[in-house]
Amino acid sequence: MSYITGPEVVSYACTCGLLKPIPQLYFCRHCSQLRCGFCVCHEVDSIFCGKCSENIPSAEARVKKNRCASCFNCPSCHQELSTRIATKGPVVNPEDAKQPSPHKKTYYLSCYFCRWNSRDVGIPDQGSATGAWPERENVHAHRLQEIMDTYKQVMMSQKQQKENDKKKQRGKFVSFTDRTGVTSSAIRKRIGLPDIPHAMLKKPNPPEPAVAKLEVEELPDSLFTDPVNLLEITTIEQRHLQPETQAATVDMLFPIHKQLSIKRSLRCRRCEHNVSKPEYNPNSVKFKIQLFAYYHIPEVRIVTVEPLRAGKTCELILKFTNPTQHETTIAIKYVDLEQQATYVEEQKLSDVIEVLEQLSLQQPTSLPSLSGSQPSSLLSLTPRQPSITVKPRKINEEVNCDVAIPDSSFILPPRDDAAEYDDSTDTHNIEDDPKLVKWRKSNKAFIKLQVTPMAHLEVGKEVICGFTMQHIYTNVIATTIENKLPQKYEHNVRVFLRLGNVVGQE
Amino acid sequence: MPIYEPLSSEKLTVVLDIGTAFTKFGFTSEFAPRYIIRSEVRCKRTNKIRKLSSYESPEDLHDLLVDFIHAIYFKFALISPKDRPIVIVESLLCPTLFRETLAKVLFLQYEVSSILVLPSHLVALASLAVDTAMVVDVGYKEAVVFPVCFGLPIIQAWQALPLGGEAVHNHLKSLLSNANPGLQNLPEQILEDIKVRCCFVTKKSRTKSADIVPPPDVKYPYKGAQTLTVTGKVRETAFEVLYEEDNDHLCLSTMILDALLKVDINLRHSLTQNVFLIGGTTMTIGFKARLKEELLSQLKNEQYKMLNIKEFKFHVAPCKENYASWLGGSIYGATEFLNLKAVTKDFYLREKHLPDWINLKDVVGLKQDNGIRGAF
Ligand SMILES: [Zn+2]
Ligand SMILES: [Zn+2]
Ligand SMILES: [Zn+2]
Ligand SMILES: [Zn+2]
Repeated sequence: MSYITGPEVVSYACTCGLLKPIPQLYFCRHCSQLRCGFCVCHEVDSIFCGKCSENIPSAEARVKKNRCASCFNCPSCHQELSTRIATKGPVVNPEDAKQPSPHKKTYYLSCYFCRWNSRDVGIPDQGSATGAWPERENVHAHRLQEIMDTYKQVMMSQKQQKENDKKKQRGKFVSFTDRTGVTSSAIRKRIGLPDIPHAMLKKPNPPEPAVAKLEVEELPDSLFTDPVNLLEITTIEQRHLQPETQAATVDMLFPIHKQLSIKRSLRCRRCEHNVSKPEYNPNSVKFKIQLFAYYHIPEVRIVTVEPLRAGKTCELILKFTNPTQHETTIAIKYVDLEQQATYVEEQKLSDVIEVLEQLSLQQPTSLPSLSGSQPSSLLSLTPRQPSITVKPRKINEEVNCDVAIPDSSFILPPRDDAAEYDDSTDTHNIEDDPKLVKWRKSNKAFIKLQVTPMAHLEVGKEVICGFTMQHIYTNVIATTIENKLPQKYEHNVRVFLRLGNVVGQE
Repeated sequence: MPIYEPLSSEKLTVVLDIGTAFTKFGFTSEFAPRYIIRSEVRCKRTNKIRKLSSYESPEDLHDLLVDFIHAIYFKFALISPKDRPIVIVESLLCPTLFRETLAKVLFLQYEVSSILVLPSHLVALASLAVDTAMVVDVGYKEAVVFPVCFGLPIIQAWQALPLGGEAVHNHLKSLLSNANPGLQNLPEQILEDIKVRCCFVTKKSRTKSADIVPPPDVKYPYKGAQTLTVTGKVRETAFEVLYEEDNDHLCLSTMILDALLKVDINLRHSLTQNVFLIGGTTMTIGFKARLKEELLSQLKNEQYKMLNIKEFKFHVAPCKENYASWLGGSIYGATEFLNLKAVTKDFYLREKHLPDWINLKDVVGLKQDNGIRGAF
């Protein structure tokens, strides 16, 4: 597993030019190109609570402000809070002593990590486990709502005014007897009458401007004499967890509804197909679509390398594994970084042209002011805009070691899960170049390469070599649809290896 | 004809105020940000936390912002950014490189449909419903004073000095290492915590007299078993760096008065009657009281006598000061202003850059001729 979490020893160059280890790459079968998290389009697929594993539809999540209604986090240490039962004894009340009152269960919230609990801050225990825990309200909400309404209204009339101006500019005849509120108000303005708002535009009283005061919060004198108990004062993190209140002392901390989590789906920006789409169930770690490069691109691992000395050729043994159901042929080619750099430049140019074309195509269908003049209800229905592809960048890797390019290629048989357990039937009639292939087993081959760290390298310098791996990729999507033979084509991947550090002479 | 748009409240639009130290994130038409998070990302390669402000090159900043915006949408907002508008609240002094890189990331990487960029000093006034005020923003990196008159920032009068949380941290660091010999390189997070939980802004009278009884010391637990003594003197002098005049006789109070000097004489009175303090640093206990004291005492100086000012009046925001600008962005973003003034993706693809603040005239012009002034 170390190759997943550990240092990136073998990295593959994504089409966008970033170097990533193979578990972080995707392979779009429709474009036959590598993609990575940087160059795909991320989308929210489903929303769920990580504690109670409940799926929450996006509309509901929106109403609940992306928080779970029933799970809470500790306001002190941000771990999850547990609901605990506090059983009160039978309520001994002389008046209804005749009726045996049942055990009354009450609940409170408690943190197992820092021992914070809801009783400390004076929140009364609740009668049910999912109890209606008190929520704090913004004391300024009413005034702010007034202000916001006024702003909305002013901007709306501004927009209408602008639209009217536009109509006038177009030279259209504007009837002053038009029964729209705007024009009648325009007449009123013109003849100097006070503007009576349109009936629909019921104007809330514009809020009074805030009044500044001479007095400011004074420094309490107790600060100079009273000792400080650090445990009672909140940290800046605790304050920022509750932006509205930002309590300065711990007795004002309230439990926080747990933030929901999401599953993401990833989309290739060039063809708009998904390269990864998770299953809806929050408990499932499986995917509906998983075009991980790991299942399509031969994997390269370093087996051994002789001690690296500047200017001296040494032997490198690599293991190649074919993860697909199809036989493939692998050839090792020179890694041409200049070619990649020119490709990057070409893409820059073609991008500009593409954008211009896209714009000229879009123009007739969309209004000049675009979304601006559409009501928002239509805006939400606008179809998905075509994606903008991420521009490739130059591969940023200092290759300082030559790889002797072998003359021949080698074959990797398809993956056969059964063969993994079978040691005897390792018969394949593949004629290998013994100089290249050292050993092979099922879908794996061990390949010998001669590498030479550059002569000028100092002792201790990290040696990085690279090559282009050309493999035959069998695309099966077309076959299922059109009943054709699987298409095979050559796919090139630039692979970079961190071989270790230069050692001194013997 | 849509007069009221009940739907617009259902449409989720992110409002982002990216500060040097903290980023305020939330949605339009809400009265508080959902989250206040540090403006930093974890570098995937080295696994170290990196501040957004620590970028080494434009490409580096681009990649930092890609990771940061990713977290904003997929960890906090939980919506896909593509084809949605976004509201960005930024300082008028925001470096061009930063705003252009942010626009590039938002338009090309996340494919937002439009960006509404709002100047922080101006929109902060929205929550007060006033349009003339002396806006003093003391944040992490710097203190910026911007007089705003009738909704118009007076560009020629702004003042900025590197006085903010960072200056306090540096000052606190040297005070602490003087008081605790052998203590070096305290991490900034510890300094920040000591500042927030132990320190305050003292009274002006106490800074002058020699025989004052210092407030009680604080034993601050540090590195597990160790304790660090934060003396009473350190507690009350950590913020002094903001009020002490530097070599050019500049400090927080002179900035405000210098800004006033640069404003038309007829506007000065209403500005002194409407001082609005925003930014996280202004939330410190005693900050406002001390600033008032300092202002009044500076008025006795020869250079400020001509201002002929007797008093200052201060606004109290209907929110916490550290998100006052964000709240303005939330209010503006909830209105038609979003559709009227946002920079669209089409515009950006054609022009390849954001319009500069010259377009502020649009913002201002709009405010003036639509009668917001009259309404308020
Ligand atoms: Zn990529
Ligand atoms: Zn839950
Ligand atoms: Zn806790
Ligand atoms: Zn594709």
